[in-house]
Amino acid sequence: MSVTGRPTIDEPRLTTRRVRRRRVPRHVVAALPLALAGLISLLVSGNTLRPFEQITTLEAKMASKSDFFKDPEVQRLLLRHGIRVDIHRLGSRGIATQSLKDMDVVFPSGQPAAKLVLDRQDRSVRSARPFVTPLVLGTFRSYAETLVRAGVATPQGAAGGDTLYYDLDMRRFMGLLDGRDGGRSTADQDGDGKTEGADTWNGIGFDTAGGRSNSGRVLVRTSSVCESNSAGTYLSLLAFVANRNSTPGTQNVNDARLAQDAVTDLAARIKPLISLQGMWADEQADSYLSDLGESIAPLSVIYEHQYLAHQIAHHDRHGRQDTDRVLLYPTPYTLTEPQLISLTDRGDRLVRILEEDDALRERALELGFRVRDSDAEEDTGERLDAYLRDHGIQVPVPNTDRTKAYEPDLDVLERIIDYVGSCPPPAKDTP
Amino acid sequence: MRRRIGALALAVALLATLTSACARDPDHLTLRVLASPELADVEPLLDRLENDTGVELEMTYEATADLAGRQPPAAGKPSYDLAWLASDRSFQLRVQDSGGRLARPESTSVMRSPVVAGLTPETAAALRANTPGGRITWADLADAAADGRLRFGMADPRRSDTGRAALVGVATAAAGTGSALREQDVSCDRLRGFRSGQSLTAPSSRALLDTYPKDQDAADALIAHESELLALNAGGRLAHPLEIVHPDDGMVLSDFPLLLLDPAERTAYRKVTDWLLSADTQRELMRRTFRRPVNRDVEPSARLRVPVGNALSYPDRLSIVERLVDDYGDPAHPTGDQVVFLLDFSTSMRGDRIAALRAAFAGLSGADRTTTGKFARFHRGEILTVVRFGGRVLQERTVTVRGDGDLETLDRIVAGGGFDDATAVWSALDRGYRIAADAVRAAPERPVALVLMTDGENNAGLTYAEFLRRHERLGAAADAVPTFTVPFGEADPEALERAATATGGRLVDAGLSSLSDAFKEIRGCH
Repeated sequence: MSVTGRPTIDEPRLTTRRVRRRRVPRHVVAALPLALAGLISLLVSGNTLRPFEQITTLEAKMASKSDFFKDPEVQRLLLRHGIRVDIHRLGSRGIATQSLKDMDVVFPSGQPAAKLVLDRQDRSVRSARPFVTPLVLGTFRSYAETLVRAGVATPQGAAGGDTLYYDLDMRRFMGLLDGRDGGRSTADQDGDGKTEGADTWNGIGFDTAGGRSNSGRVLVRTSSVCESNSAGTYLSLLAFVANRNSTPGTQNVNDARLAQDAVTDLAARIKPLISLQGMWADEQADSYLSDLGESIAPLSVIYEHQYLAHQIAHHDRHGRQDTDRVLLYPTPYTLTEPQLISLTDRGDRLVRILEEDDALRERALELGFRVRDSDAEEDTGERLDAYLRDHGIQVPVPNTDRTKAYEPDLDVLERIIDYVGSCPPPAKDTP
Repeated sequence: MRRRIGALALAVALLATLTSACARDPDHLTLRVLASPELADVEPLLDRLENDTGVELEMTYEATADLAGRQPPAAGKPSYDLAWLASDRSFQLRVQDSGGRLARPESTSVMRSPVVAGLTPETAAALRANTPGGRITWADLADAAADGRLRFGMADPRRSDTGRAALVGVATAAAGTGSALREQDVSCDRLRGFRSGQSLTAPSSRALLDTYPKDQDAADALIAHESELLALNAGGRLAHPLEIVHPDDGMVLSDFPLLLLDPAERTAYRKVTDWLLSADTQRELMRRTFRRPVNRDVEPSARLRVPVGNALSYPDRLSIVERLVDDYGDPAHPTGDQVVFLLDFSTSMRGDRIAALRAAFAGLSGADRTTTGKFARFHRGEILTVVRFGGRVLQERTVTVRGDGDLETLDRIVAGGGFDDATAVWSALDRGYRIAADAVRAAPERPVALVLMTDGENNAGLTYAEFLRRHERLGAAADAVPTFTVPFGEADPEALERAATATGGRLVDAGLSSLSDAFKEIRGCH
């Protein structure tokens, strides 16, 4: 499988220490002339080794966008170009802050990590931004309905009880997350005559409907803020809302010290919204979409494409939508923009293919991505909507309030992330 | 003959090409794996893994909770290529604490199983009868452990990640905040009552589950992974299968991740994880080990469709987990503690105040059915001393809690008895320290604490300065004994605060909540 076009320098220890050489049995020796004849005839006809010679394996680091490159159909389409992609899985910010040695391409899930990578390159690099996808919160119907009753979420559309999508008022929602009960009376959960000092699921009425109970706090589960793009983007959304719907770091631009203090102050305010969850957990979408998803976390930060890919697959398999799992679309909203960045000539080829191959772009659509149209830069939703409609999946509607949470400048975001996550310093490539 | 040699040479040449091809695409590879002992049950599948992928896993079942002392080196080749753990949370926190010295390894969840309790049928029935709605919580288990109705087995949290997950689960439930444990939650040890019920332990939960069938009278319950308990039940070594209870106040979920410690072996690692996550393997793993599959295409068996309840958040700092584990200590040698209550019985305590005191004692004796009450209550093996004082010591009584009778004795002392006109606060505290110092000399490993409750200012006996001098003279034996002071009514909070701080204790104001709450708060912290 690793017969590649790249010059192979194998570590010799593999042959000496690791490979168990089996004694060649006598019947194999006997059959050798036959095998030899076959091999010669194949070599003569000249078409056996060629496919192997042509396949180039690219080394790639990526996070959730490996969903795209791991897709069997995408792999098949890439093989037609003679390309295989060997994926090293790592969080996007982890990719940006760790060594890129031996990599041909990286595919961070969002712009902050992509910019960090680009800033580290001393040559001009080829890159592509083939699609966008909004950041969303994955949840389950009973929890979404609890949030509706608490006045922070609104069901989308006229689909009645079965809607897949809810709009989430981030400002009000953050009032539930902050570890305080905001002056409202919450339920007395453990029967000790004391009202809990924070918003818990039972406290906002989860246990009043349907005999289920969750005494846990209303918390959003994220991946590590130090490593992942989704957690970092979620953090910038929290910062944007906590900063009264304006981009952090844009105030007091004439006074560096004041501006810096304001950012630190903001980071301190939003830190509990992340840290109250305790330890982060990787692979949020995997947990959310698993059988135990609802037990693992009532609310998880994921990308829209991960959810839509699940719904499309679910519909293909069962002939109906998964109506237990539902999405919360935050208002203000935030879009993530993955960027495939080439670091070598071979990587350049992959970027070009992704830009030019229509079949690959079509497949991205089928995997739930909002594919950028080369002609219409802004309109990224219509083709996806049409695809969903054709496949029996409810189409998410943009909230009428189209406030977009912009990510702060890279250095501002980095300061917020470091403050909230106490992240280790980035690794430097040894030259 | 010559022709034969020629053919042989050709064959050898061809063979050489083939083997060099093999070296480039190794068809057989051995990876060394540091694994949790719990994972020995996957061993029978490893031959098939080798056949299908050419990767042989050489397992060493010695992984501890956070790979302490066995972390991969910052540079150079690690002594293990992979680690396969019940949970990598502690290890990931250690990596986080390393400030970038340790790189975070690639990690893939392979199976899932919650840490739950397996109860004998009688114990389960008895607990359920005592619980509203029959939904048993960790608090109920702690309550039953404290009053001797439950003896349980659990792996040593210092070494086993299963034991550690169990401990974090119980402690999170005890803190009752609905979120992950914080520093301030583990600064108080709320698990003494729970711990007093531990009758069985082992370095790993595998060893624990191996020991238990040989002596099934040794415990009424085992705390371990759901998968291990199901396997034990299926093994036919038990007189009666254990009833598996998913505690209503949440559980810690293990996800049995495979970690790539040596990045150079990534290709083989990928082969192994692909194989482990394939539907066929996942089905086989589920059948053999009773863990829940992570592959969504695999339908869980009936037993594994039981809801697991809500996952508890895990602390985000290793220091929190370590503090918890240290406080829990060696489960094989539980040490009960001693508390000396110095209770003011001056005439001003008559009426409502003494009623509140009696209620507080009754609550701590098991009448308090709240979550915090169940964790904070008096427990088996605990030594309790009650000193009633007025202008002098009126009565003094020490009991070792063996059963309800002992607690009733204490309650009678608090309930009965006369009052005195004066209040000799410092004389009483001096008396308390003499009792404590004797106790420390007799059993240095046993922690001792004093609780001083008064509703008035000192108006008889020693002055505070005299008390301090006497306390000084007691020396080392009294140094480790903190005093928690509880001002009530007209007491002098400043003087009591001073005394508490001087002895390493704390003042807990009953006026802000109630005497019961003040006593409960102290019991979490002494």
